Amino acid sequence: MLPEEILAKLSEAVAEGDEDASLELVNEAIAAGIEPLKILNDGAGKGMDVVSEQYNNGEAFLPELVLAGDAMSRVIEVIFANMSQEEAAKSKQGVVVIGQAKGDVHDIGKNVVAALLAVNGFEVHDLGIDVEVKTFATKAQEVNADIVAVSTLLTTSLPYMSDIANYIRDTGNREKYNIIVGGGPVTPQFATDMGADGWSRNAFDCVELCKQLMARKTPGKGEIILIDSEAK
Amino acid sequence: MYNIKVQRLLNMLDKAYTGPIMPMKEWDTKVIPKTIKGILKKYGLTGTLDLENPINCDDDLADTFFKAGWELALELGMYCEDTERVIKITEDELLETIRDYQAYNILGEGQDQVIMKPRRPEDPYAPLVASSLGIVCSEENYIPLVQGIVKYPKLVDVLHGPTLATVFGRTIRSGTPYETLMGNYESQLKKEALWRAGRPGMACTGVAGASTEYGHLGGAPAVAGRGNVTMSLCPVELKCTFSNFHRIIQGLNYGHKLRVGAFSYIGGYAGPPEGAALACVANDLLIPTVLQSDYTSSYVYDIQLFGNCGRKAVWANSVSIQAISRNTAFMRNKIVNETAGPCTEMFMYEAAVGLMNHCVSGASKTTQPRSAGGRYTDYITPVECWWSGDVFKSCAGMTRKQANEIAKKILPKYEEKLHAPDKGLPIKECFDLQAQRPMDNYIELFNRVRNELIDLGMPLDKAFGECYMGKVSDKRRTIVL
Repeated sequence: MLPEEILAKLSEAVAEGDEDASLELVNEAIAAGIEPLKILNDGAGKGMDVVSEQYNNGEAFLPELVLAGDAMSRVIEVIFANMSQEEAAKSKQGVVVIGQAKGDVHDIGKNVVAALLAVNGFEVHDLGIDVEVKTFATKAQEVNADIVAVSTLLTTSLPYMSDIANYIRDTGNREKYNIIVGGGPVTPQFATDMGADGWSRNAFDCVELCKQLMARKTPGKGEIILIDSEAK
Repeated sequence: MYNIKVQRLLNMLDKAYTGPIMPMKEWDTKVIPKTIKGILKKYGLTGTLDLENPINCDDDLADTFFKAGWELALELGMYCEDTERVIKITEDELLETIRDYQAYNILGEGQDQVIMKPRRPEDPYAPLVASSLGIVCSEENYIPLVQGIVKYPKLVDVLHGPTLATVFGRTIRSGTPYETLMGNYESQLKKEALWRAGRPGMACTGVAGASTEYGHLGGAPAVAGRGNVTMSLCPVELKCTFSNFHRIIQGLNYGHKLRVGAFSYIGGYAGPPEGAALACVANDLLIPTVLQSDYTSSYVYDIQLFGNCGRKAVWANSVSIQAISRNTAFMRNKIVNETAGPCTEMFMYEAAVGLMNHCVSGASKTTQPRSAGGRYTDYITPVECWWSGDVFKSCAGMTRKQANEIAKKILPKYEEKLHAPDKGLPIKECFDLQAQRPMDNYIELFNRVRNELIDLGMPLDKAFGECYMGKVSDKRRTIVL
């Protein structure tokens, strides 16, 4: 296959969430001597754009997004393994630890965010539902996270968001991680009051929020970033 | 001593430990979407979403969704998150549930007792209204707010109630002793408010603020028996947890009716609106069978709109409600998730479309409202509850065709704003809690929109005749609230 064909097929495989085919094609691309960065931008990256747009237009749904995110994560592992350390560091979008706050099992919104972040090239560690406060901090330390993302649909789980921020602060790690929050009852005011680094209205806004926080590189310091693409 | 539900529940719990084992991710991303897609295709339901006719009027389509939902329920069963196993049911078990299902549910006691009955599409029997949904309110407002919500017996039949922001000034954390205490506190406040409103026998449908079994455990003893209800909500369509089982067993222990629900998400695991509708039909069949509910509380929700008042969700709810209403006598509580807040035209339009749809499609009960999408503290007043009762009951007996034509006229008034809905006003800016009546700004808006919808054909003066709670101020229909 010509390099362009490999990249086109890789894009297709990522968009379709075909993990095996994606892995095969990324390895084929590496073997064909295509620059890792080109594989990321012109192959896998295009696939993620396709599936993101399909989801936004109501043509693809959560399962497709999750599978595409999984495929993208595997492809990125191979690509980074074939880059120099500096190049990999430059290309990395960031490491996100995400979970549903304690007491809350309603994770569908969080799953959309996790999948969209993965599809957009973030390394995502999903802690699942009903996650203990300390688990967020422990996992963030373990994977050297850039962002700790907490979601809830329940007002009675909101206090745990503050607890997470406080725990991370009190253990002296506040300047290591950006803390972002979201979900039904999480308002910009609440996010500001609890000392989060960012809040977003929906899953797409969250991807943009994470990109902005990664570019800013001042966890726990700057003014909170609030993104609401649906605001009047 | 124990009724048959306990034995059946134990059988299902056994299955949660012995059913086919499956990683949750496989269930979510492969089994659910693949099976739903396959069944939609098999029954010719793919692409049946009709955005031009948001309220389905096609009986054949509803019946096909029922057949497809039946197959989905039997093929999949319910997934138990705690054991990562599938609770499969047999066709005999489903048929037995239908055979043994009660003819009605009696809720409340004495003069405040009401009867929930199965309803068919276009049924003239008025459905029940429970108010409110779990919108957060300040502790100080709780009693007067609830007192206001239940002020008019003809409009609100059952109390669900708002959610407390704090318990004795303390933040409530789910799953902690604060929540257990809140459960009891909420129940006591409700009883006080009902007594003050002169409706002490009104049924309470669970602890609104209970996000885990602890809140229910705290609250159930204070409202045991007498036709009260325990609520148990599953995390997502076709899934349950041990927390669901805990709440159900607690409910049975306290002699409660059981209201159990699971929401189907457009854009979620079930996929498109047709998939969410299909999953909702399967939910309404599986929940009484697996979780022994006296009535279900499942509906379709649109992830991208954070509500279900857009065309896709209106359609999916209409066809899924009709599928069950036409083919079983299962009773269902169907919720409209408005996104706009109190004292806005948008809220009234959203509620009007959603409730008219659920009523003509055959829902037996609703729980309302979700003012401001439930996002903000104290963004709920009794007026949204009264409006919900007004619409939901008045529409009984309308045809789906009439309702569809009216919905088509109302939807354009708000649907473009669904991504950025009007927030509205907090209670203290549009409702006088001491006088128990809305402020002039809300009264003016309420009457203006209500009259506008009457002009569009909504039979809003039908349920209460010419006299709306005995307080019609003129021959037209301006209401003195």
